[in-house]
Amino acid sequence: MVKFTEEMIEGLRVPGKGGSLVYLCTSSLDGKPNIAAMRFVATHMDDKILIADMFLLKTKMNIKENPDVTVAICHPLEEGRWWAFKGKAVDIEYGFPRDFDWYGANATDILNEWGDWNKSEPPEEVPPDIVFPKAAQRGVVVVHVEEAYSIEPGHAGEKIL
Amino acid sequence: MTVKLTERMQAWIEKMGCHLCVATPQGVPYVTLGRYARATGDDEVAFALAKDELSVIYPALSVNPWVAFGVSHQGGIRASFQFKGIGHLVKEGPLFDDIAKDAESVDTYAVLYVKVSEIYCTKPGAEAGQRLDIMAPGDVCDWEKERWKDIPRK
Repeated sequence: MVKFTEEMIEGLRVPGKGGSLVYLCTSSLDGKPNIAAMRFVATHMDDKILIADMFLLKTKMNIKENPDVTVAICHPLEEGRWWAFKGKAVDIEYGFPRDFDWYGANATDILNEWGDWNKSEPPEEVPPDIVFPKAAQRGVVVVHVEEAYSIEPGHAGEKIL
Repeated sequence: MTVKLTERMQAWIEKMGCHLCVATPQGVPYVTLGRYARATGDDEVAFALAKDELSVIYPALSVNPWVAFGVSHQGGIRASFQFKGIGHLVKEGPLFDDIAKDAESVDTYAVLYVKVSEIYCTKPGAEAGQRLDIMAPGDVCDWEKERWKDIPRK
């Protein structure tokens, strides 16, 4: 069982609040990898990373057939956030049973707090030529983190959680 | 289908380096940094990897050559693309030396060459997931120039 450090909790927030842009890495069941940057990120409990299901395609398909994922900090790495988190993910979409549980995380709690993420933490820091014209959130990806390793040069692969 | 990285894609890849994602045949993904990157052809990128960086991905890469990568740092948002292809490692010889000699910031242990066969737009919104390598190379350039013109310089 892992527990995020304070630095990780600070870093795993939306970039506009001092957090990070992250890469969510998934794979098809037969091993074809996929990597996509995510802006809406938060932590929940001691060991859950939350990411908005907003415009997910291949990522969503992969998670539906294979829960193994890795979340790595994309930017800013220079602040010492050389982290990659491995775990099991589910996409809690609207329509899931409200009492659905993912390693202790409750669907109702998740959707109540993060189900309209664009409204609660709008992407004000995202450049106008990148930002989407209209939010379309379908749910929240919940990653149950089981371990973390460093991607820092000279220390890559070292276990940090 | 001919895959051709645009000038802007190449510039972002080379300026920022990339996050490299591989997976085991059973689908467990691993990520490492490719801090030094160079486009070595229209559809090929080489990454200089230190020993520790390679060690993260080698167990998977040695049995499954698929590599997906996205641009690191600010490139994760400014260069909204995902690239996929087949990778192969080189640990000695001219192909190794050619990259290692210029990768001053990396204690190069191996060079990963990725032959890119798929390019996706990852800009959030209606174009997220749009596959670009199915377009003619000139059309990809035009498509990109309509959206972005920022080309980073080293």
